[in-house]
Amino acid sequence: MSALFPLQPGGAASELTDGLGPHAALSIRDLTPMPRFGIKGAGSAAWFAGQGVALPPVNRLAQHDDTTFLRLGTNDLVCLADGDNEGLTRLRRSWHDAAAPKGYWSWREESWAWLRLGGAALEGALQRLCAVDLRAQSFRQQDVAQTRFAHVDAVVFRCEAGFDILFDITLTAQVLAAIEVARHAAEQGEAS
Amino acid sequence: MNRLPPPFGSRIDRAQRLHFSFEGRKLEGFAGDTIASALAASGEWQVSRSFKYHRPRGLHSLTGSDANALVQVGDEPNVDAGLTPLRDGMVVSAQNVNGSLAHDRDSVIDKLGRFLPVGFYYRTFMGPTHNAWLKLWEPLIRRKAGLGRLHMTASHPHGDTVHLHCDVLVVGCGPAGLAAGIEAARSGADVILCEAEPELSGSLTFAAEQHGLASLVAEAQSLPGLRLMTGTVCNGWFEDNWLPLIRGNTLHRVRARRVIFATGVLEQPAVFRNNDLPGLMAAGTVRRLVRHYGVKTGTTAVVLAAGDETLDTVRALQEAGVQIAAVVAPQPLSATCMDELRREGLPVIDGRIEEARGNKRLSALRVGGRWIDCDVAAITAGYMPSWQLPCQAGARLVCGDDGEMSFTGFPPDVDIAGGITGHSAHEAVLADGRRAAQAALRALGLAAREEISRPSPASKPFRFWDAPGEPDPRGRDFVDFDEDLQVKDLVHAVQEGYREIELVKRFTTVGMGPSQGRHSAKAAALIVARSTARRLSQTGVTTARPPAGPEKLSVLAGHHTVTERRTALHAAHVQLGAEMRPVGNWWRPYVYRTGAPREEAIAAEVKAVREGVGLLDVSTLGKLEVRGPDAGAFLDRMYATNHGNQSIGRVRYALMLNEMGSVMDDGVVLRLTEDTFYVTATTGAVARVYADMSFWNAQWRMNVDVLNLTGAFCGLNLTGPKARAVLSGLSSDISFEPEAFPYLQGKSATIAGVPVRAMRIGFTGELSYELHCAGSQAMTLYKAIAQAGPAHDLKPYGLEASRILRLEKGHILIGQDTDAMSTPDELGFGWAVSKRKAFFVGKRSLEARRRTGLQRKLAGLTFAASLGPNDMGEGCLVLRNGEVAGHVTSFATSPTLGKPIALAHVHTDDAKPGATVSLRARNGATIAATVAGHAFFDPQNLRQEI
Repeated sequence: MSALFPLQPGGAASELTDGLGPHAALSIRDLTPMPRFGIKGAGSAAWFAGQGVALPPVNRLAQHDDTTFLRLGTNDLVCLADGDNEGLTRLRRSWHDAAAPKGYWSWREESWAWLRLGGAALEGALQRLCAVDLRAQSFRQQDVAQTRFAHVDAVVFRCEAGFDILFDITLTAQVLAAIEVARHAAEQGEAS
Repeated sequence: MNRLPPPFGSRIDRAQRLHFSFEGRKLEGFAGDTIASALAASGEWQVSRSFKYHRPRGLHSLTGSDANALVQVGDEPNVDAGLTPLRDGMVVSAQNVNGSLAHDRDSVIDKLGRFLPVGFYYRTFMGPTHNAWLKLWEPLIRRKAGLGRLHMTASHPHGDTVHLHCDVLVVGCGPAGLAAGIEAARSGADVILCEAEPELSGSLTFAAEQHGLASLVAEAQSLPGLRLMTGTVCNGWFEDNWLPLIRGNTLHRVRARRVIFATGVLEQPAVFRNNDLPGLMAAGTVRRLVRHYGVKTGTTAVVLAAGDETLDTVRALQEAGVQIAAVVAPQPLSATCMDELRREGLPVIDGRIEEARGNKRLSALRVGGRWIDCDVAAITAGYMPSWQLPCQAGARLVCGDDGEMSFTGFPPDVDIAGGITGHSAHEAVLADGRRAAQAALRALGLAAREEISRPSPASKPFRFWDAPGEPDPRGRDFVDFDEDLQVKDLVHAVQEGYREIELVKRFTTVGMGPSQGRHSAKAAALIVARSTARRLSQTGVTTARPPAGPEKLSVLAGHHTVTERRTALHAAHVQLGAEMRPVGNWWRPYVYRTGAPREEAIAAEVKAVREGVGLLDVSTLGKLEVRGPDAGAFLDRMYATNHGNQSIGRVRYALMLNEMGSVMDDGVVLRLTEDTFYVTATTGAVARVYADMSFWNAQWRMNVDVLNLTGAFCGLNLTGPKARAVLSGLSSDISFEPEAFPYLQGKSATIAGVPVRAMRIGFTGELSYELHCAGSQAMTLYKAIAQAGPAHDLKPYGLEASRILRLEKGHILIGQDTDAMSTPDELGFGWAVSKRKAFFVGKRSLEARRRTGLQRKLAGLTFAASLGPNDMGEGCLVLRNGEVAGHVTSFATSPTLGKPIALAHVHTDDAKPGATVSLRARNGATIAATVAGHAFFDPQNLRQEI
């Protein structure tokens, strides 16, 4: 049983993958197929804490066992890894095997697309895509913004390459088109 | 040509000649010119006609502060010639002319002015008949509106939107703004300096004395924390220091922690008869034309003096070789100024300019009863602080009786600096800029210095030098050039009973044109004060609101982004030749084109479902998971239907009401486990349903979690008599036989290796299986079904076929067959409303509405088969005794039944099956229809339960 995500060949937005890649002024990497899972609802935070994860405050992230933990609410957590990650796999298995209360599965691996943006034109593009102050002095490495990005609801946070964006997977084509427009405008040099 | 040799013309590049046309005449300019400066250099002093009287108008401010310089450039109207850079090949023409700029037939209106007093339109355009406004006046006014020509084929400009953040935003890059920006940036603040002009230094760029500002400019350009945005207009101030900065087609939406307005002052025009003749211009415009653009403004000049800056105007004119006929001084000038003027041998006349004359260009001015020949006049009647932005930010402009002005009541994170505070001495302006920066730095925690006190401004910098006098008996003494308003117009407004300045503004439209009162507010306030026997301090000036100046809608709109949600099966639909259409936010297959005409293809899809099996992508349906120990009780509160007692594996219809008792949504609920329910909602309403569930969950504090799975899960509806046969050909861990999987049952299962939530439900009235699975697995499932399908004539079908299939069964679409007032009883869904539950959302209202009785019901209608193709449709009225009783909500010609069918709101008394109702057809005829039962097709519901 193979999974198919929007930007993969045959996927819902596969015709828009021309702009993907690491070498453009604005590099876009599709991490949608990467492993992640989330739980939400009563008992979620306690369950993670019980696994030895030092949870960050709401709208912050923390690293644990090469896994990134995003805390979107008191009891709304997501963990992600941008590659095969044993710790994440172990956690997921533990959760499935655990008895309630342990929160509820939030299907983040299916509901979100995950894009990683970087490159020289990133700052100019972000200024066109998001109203949040994402400057380094204002938006720190551990900050998480739940906001609007490219006209859709999104979760935005920093990564080594630039910024990671999580958003409704059904809007992948729209977001990619908006990023392309922003990239073009940023390259035109209209940014301050 | 009026072009002066170098070094005049700091902005132009004489090596780059640009060609353009104005009113059909081929002209030339240089790179760096604006349209206005190139016109002036070419001797084109008349650039427009006035709004109401079609009087010749020339350049006035060159700062975008008046309507005189608005022209048509190609397909774009209302282009400000004073601000717009000249481009090669530009086609420029005057707007608001009937004929040509030189020979405007509508200039006859200038002779009829006495019959067109201010406010006449409020009375005239009301009659003579009831519809005269629409039939007579509106077309006439449109033709005469004077706002340029809109080209319906004009290119669509894409605006750009950029979000910027900073510690300190300084608006205005004159000496004070530069000093403030540099001071703040030196201390580590992130600073944006915004300047409307193309270069830094403000008015010093066209002044003789530069005060060594070059070093400040160089430092500003070198500081890493300082972002310089020249050619950028700050067009307003909004809450929380949100300011729009517009540069070209880009809107910069800036959030600043502190704002400093260093926007300087506005030169005020003098009010006298014919003060609008081309050749009369602001003194600053004269200096700009000479020094920025190397344009000689005339041969003989008169200068209206207002303070020591007069000297700089005189110098500019003399340097350009313009003879100065007189300097008119309405108020005593300083000894320094007088000494200088005497040394130059210039005649200084104490008094006011009383009148101007000339045919399309100034030829003489009357001062003290004597006519002085001149073709240019540099006018400054005084100054006013650039009050709009500070006042939008909450400050109040306090007026003294002598015209003096100052600000009070600033919010804590907004400040002003420089000339706007009344400073004119260079060192004082710089010091005030630094003071404002220090205040901002202290507030930001970036400076520990003691507060620097604000230096005292010069004495009465904003007092009237030349206050408007009494109305000239012959009129044409304009207060507001934008709207052709004369002194007598304001006096008449007061005589009409409008005593307050805000009412006078609305009655006369003073200050409502593109200049937004920059040149008229102060004079208008004084005239109103005088006419009401009050003091200026009592009337005040009109309120300033954003936008501060004109802005293009395309800039506000930004780039047009099309909302586009795609299901996981999008590529498969496209590959199958689907005609994709936007439905709300989603793109869905409308019909699969097979080469046949669209209507035939749709009918074939309907037939395939009725006789074989069809497959519909229902991924856009709302999908929610409600889980937790209180999930059943929670759903019982949310829905009018019963769910707490629903057995595991059972699917039940769900009807949601709002607090008003109106139907808000419907769907189905599948109980997966004791504490897990899978809930569907309509495509259009799921966002609202999820928001409401989240809201009520927070209110009720039940032990429940709600998850919106709409984007995560896909849905496929396999429907038709052969649906079971298709599924039976797939590998699965469940049986699809009717005994094992009866109607209204649901199961978690694996089909073709894909975990699914399968439900025996459907919208078509046929044997149906709705299969929901994770989006990433949807294509696998789809392909497996498609591979199994050909043996059973499986066809994909689109949205239009689905719409017809459900109408044949009499199923409603929420939002199409319902409106904000629809109750379950009107829809025939009273059966679904629980009678035993103590509470559900909307129960109390529904019971109250039930006591008032039903006014209408939704009924099925059938028509004679002879109905024309476009005679009937959704929205057509249902009549009862000639009165409107309802309307058609859904209509289609049923391929299955071979006749037109509809759902419509009808009067309650007409809702019985067999009754006849009248409808108003689209061609105006009255058509009869027969009320049918709840379903047109298979009313016994036998097919869906096989």
